[in-house]
Amino acid sequence: MKIAVCIKRVPDSETRVKIGPDGKSLDEAGVKFVLNPYDEFAVEEALQRREKAGAGEVVILCLGPAAAQETIRTALAMGADRGVLLQADRIPADGFGTAKAVAAALKDGGWDLILFGKMAIDDYNHQVGPMVAELLGLPCVTAVAHLEIEGQKGVAEREIEGGIEVVEFPLPAVLTTDKGLNEPRYPALKGIMAAKKKPLDVKPVQVGAGGIEVLAMTPPPERKEGKIVGEGPDAIPELIRLLREEAKVL
Amino acid sequence: MSAVLAVGEQRDGVLRKVSYEVVTGARRLADALGGSVEAVICAAGAPQGLDRLGSFGADRVVTLTNPAFAKYSPEGSAQAIADRAKAGAYAAIVFAASATGKDLAPRVAAKLGVPLAADVTDVGVESGAIVVTRPVYAGKALLKVNVLGKPAVVSLRPNVFTPVERPKAGAAETVAVTVPAGRVTVREIKAAEAGSLDVAEAQVVISGGRGLKEPANFKVIEELAQAFGGRAAVGASRAVVDAGWRPHADQVGQTGKTVSPTLYIAVGISGAIQHLAGMRTSKVIVAINKDKDAPIFKVADYGVVGDLFAVVPRLTEEIRKLHG
Amino acid sequence: MALIPAQHQPPLPMERLILKEGAAGAGDRMELDVLVVGAGPAGLACAIELAKLAKAKRTELNIGVLDKAEALGEHSLSGAVVNPRAFRELFPDLKDSDFPFHGKVKKEAVYLLTAEGRWRVPTPPTMHNKGYYIASLCEIVRWLGARAEELGVNIFTGFPAASLLTRGSAVVGVRTAPAGLDREGAPGAGFAAPNDLTAKVTALAEGTRGALSQAWCKWQGIASLNPQIFALGVKELWETKRPLGRVIHTMGWPLPSDAFGGSFMYPLEPNLAALGLVVGLDYENAALDVHALLQRLKQHPLFRPYLEGGEMVEWGAKTIPEGGFYSLPNRCSGEGVVILGDAAGFVDVPSLKGIHYAMQSGMYAARAILPALKAGDPAPLHLAEYDRLVNHSYVGRDLYRTRNMRLAFQDGFLLGGLQAALMTVTRGLFPGWRYAVHADAEVHRRLTPGGSPGSGEQPDGRLTFSKVDAVFKSGNATRDTIPTHLVVGQDVPAEVARFYSHVCPAGVYEEGDGVLRVNAPNCVDCKATDVLGPRWTPREGGSGPKYKRM
Repeated sequence: MKIAVCIKRVPDSETRVKIGPDGKSLDEAGVKFVLNPYDEFAVEEALQRREKAGAGEVVILCLGPAAAQETIRTALAMGADRGVLLQADRIPADGFGTAKAVAAALKDGGWDLILFGKMAIDDYNHQVGPMVAELLGLPCVTAVAHLEIEGQKGVAEREIEGGIEVVEFPLPAVLTTDKGLNEPRYPALKGIMAAKKKPLDVKPVQVGAGGIEVLAMTPPPERKEGKIVGEGPDAIPELIRLLREEAKVL
Repeated sequence: MSAVLAVGEQRDGVLRKVSYEVVTGARRLADALGGSVEAVICAAGAPQGLDRLGSFGADRVVTLTNPAFAKYSPEGSAQAIADRAKAGAYAAIVFAASATGKDLAPRVAAKLGVPLAADVTDVGVESGAIVVTRPVYAGKALLKVNVLGKPAVVSLRPNVFTPVERPKAGAAETVAVTVPAGRVTVREIKAAEAGSLDVAEAQVVISGGRGLKEPANFKVIEELAQAFGGRAAVGASRAVVDAGWRPHADQVGQTGKTVSPTLYIAVGISGAIQHLAGMRTSKVIVAINKDKDAPIFKVADYGVVGDLFAVVPRLTEEIRKLHG
Repeated sequence: MALIPAQHQPPLPMERLILKEGAAGAGDRMELDVLVVGAGPAGLACAIELAKLAKAKRTELNIGVLDKAEALGEHSLSGAVVNPRAFRELFPDLKDSDFPFHGKVKKEAVYLLTAEGRWRVPTPPTMHNKGYYIASLCEIVRWLGARAEELGVNIFTGFPAASLLTRGSAVVGVRTAPAGLDREGAPGAGFAAPNDLTAKVTALAEGTRGALSQAWCKWQGIASLNPQIFALGVKELWETKRPLGRVIHTMGWPLPSDAFGGSFMYPLEPNLAALGLVVGLDYENAALDVHALLQRLKQHPLFRPYLEGGEMVEWGAKTIPEGGFYSLPNRCSGEGVVILGDAAGFVDVPSLKGIHYAMQSGMYAARAILPALKAGDPAPLHLAEYDRLVNHSYVGRDLYRTRNMRLAFQDGFLLGGLQAALMTVTRGLFPGWRYAVHADAEVHRRLTPGGSPGSGEQPDGRLTFSKVDAVFKSGNATRDTIPTHLVVGQDVPAEVARFYSHVCPAGVYEEGDGVLRVNAPNCVDCKATDVLGPRWTPREGGSGPKYKRM
């Protein structure tokens, strides 16, 4: 099994979001960066597939700033074999720009599987994986929460509204991973030591601004004062109306 | 080139409601651009409910038919929609950021070689450019972006664009399309496993507290959760977990550990600060409590004062109607 | 009615903290030359100095640093105004501007507060901060960690040292805490067995009230002239609308006169300030609550204008060893082991500083360790040279000179202040004797019904905050289902439960219907109740706070 896992360095989910002086981006002062949690499922899946196959290679690919080497090391500490950083000053808001750079790096790599997290918790783009699949002409299943692979055939399950879609696909393929697929391991002490010695190639890439131009980043509207809708069961129709029309959650 | 392509969804031959939202969003763009809306659906045959798309503002409704479209065909639909997009001069293509839309939109955008603005909560046109708003950092900030692609491909966050009835004399047509046999095929759709949802992951969390009086009464909470059809999990306040009514895994709050569902319904929970710390980042909070001075009402967006044993079953009934 | 905390305090769980080498239960094993427990200023300075010395001597040295926080600096909290002396010595090639400081102290003021008023008082000579730097200890630790890693030091975050591994009377390493246990202590999803790390030297740089350091001293029968005494500091980081522009210290209100302590407010950036209150844990009123007092302090006209309209962005708490010279262990070295920094009690209380002492002690330890390693003695190594280096340095001399200063304040604030002034002018010769002190847990606490300084006020969630809101702001996201790490005494009476609920700034302890309830995941590892009540033990790695700029 030769598996590529594409990961992203993202602000920790507990990050207190402060908008930078340009009014368009996150103020990164004091922000802790981590391996995107959905990518952890991808790394774990790759490791389990390699372990099951008894042979193979798990390669971590990341597009990001120089500091993303640390993020790659985290995946190497979990057990991946080597890492490649596509070093760019910035990650474009346009996921297609990222996809093109990643696809170019993966092209002709002889991969059995290319794994991504289903989305990054910072930009919620959930698109780079399937775009890379298109660019490489590979079959793709997104948001995989259960996976079985026999030989060159795979069966994946993905959660859809009110059900689970069971999807068949041939290898090689691009998969994006969802919560529930596995339980990502913590790096062990030995893994952390070993990760320091694993190869990590840094390749500068030029990623253009792309076709998504950021105009402004703003804080979400302030929470409105709550209100008592009414008393007793008779208040329910009005509650439903408010949840649908005002809060828009039903 | 000011037409907007609205990509609807069907499942098992029935149009999905999210298609109305897509058409509504597309209509908004088309009106601002002075253009028309063409709704397009991939299906094995014209799906049920298709005629209603016109009433939400579609000028034309096109069903792209292929036997492979009986189930969702990722590659086939992507090809068919991309072909359709290339053949016309569309200013924008609008998808739903549903499970299917999240899968399909990036494939189409990549085939067209244009960017995708995903999961947007607002769309508009400024100086002729398509401008959208997307929540980022788990909703802790909003990003306003200019979508420069021709066409501009966007996907709309579900439940945000309330369908607005804007009847148009929508012309319906059916076009049989040929697409290559897909390598990725949907074998079946299984029912979601009930009760497997974790409070930390569910979109809807309904929590019960001491107001339920005894463990067996959690049934009213569970029934309400079921009415949400696999999207809701049952949570509990620490008081009832400590009393042994519910397993610890259901507990919301305590450590500053939080759940952030789209909708949080607190039933019979007074709102000890330990609990509030765990759920106050929920998008919308509903509180149902007998005591109108309960602290929970201070953080709730909507409160209903009353006997939960009368209020909750009524709510369950209404939710069932919505999801029925 | 009085309460003596010691009567309800369980003993240190020695059977967990001291293990024989090779005890059953370990997963992975790893061998190092030097193992440092705790990635704080002491531990990292030790590792850096050691790596530098080894490099200069062309010696291969395998140095590992363990820390219980998930990432570097997340369990580090200090004021802080830093005396750069140790930085300059550790990095002779760098300039002050290269260090992770926010800015030089230019203006400072000390006030004596009353409920509404304030008197500016002359800054005590020991508290002059001109030429020193305002800093965040989290940032210092991350910066030191990066320097250490550049030098080839292995830093393992998220691995708490749970037990000392011993051979005879020597320390040969540590066992880390397991991860992934369920509430009952059985392995659950994601279980990771403890690791045994062995080394020729183990440097305990656990910080304040270190569990292993305490256990080692007890095991080896190492006493101190006085028991160690502690203060609890509760700190908040505020984004302010108005720049503070100066360093402020206060004494007096809202502290009762029988409590020793004071507040600080330091500007980190024009719109960012650190604010905290430090109170000695030898106070008498059993209902005193440091977190609640800090909430009250913020409403004072001196502070309120800076905070109002701003936002509290971080909260944290930590104890400080305040006993000074007479509370230091009789020796800080033994067979295969040294104790550094706060774990040993190296804090310059009169100047309210410990970071430079911590780093300095780490550097002295490194200078003692390398020759011992090179001498190639058969293990265990004896490291008495470390004690000698510390005692003959400015750290030892200054601690001796100010040996009685904090202790004088047992007599109350005014008498204490007078004696402290005499000590300063006589350079420590006054009073010519050693003040004896009680351990904090031995101090009798007054139970005054209804008298509860600071508590009982409803926080508004904007200027003042409840303990649970505060814990939320510490970034604490401890897994709810880990086994409790707190060892509580048997049958805790209601008044003792209430006492704990006031001592703990993080709302870990609650009293309800006369019963003590323990919310262990709330714990931010400040160690206050380890001093006065339930014992703290290491828990799953990554638990506790996630401080960013404390």
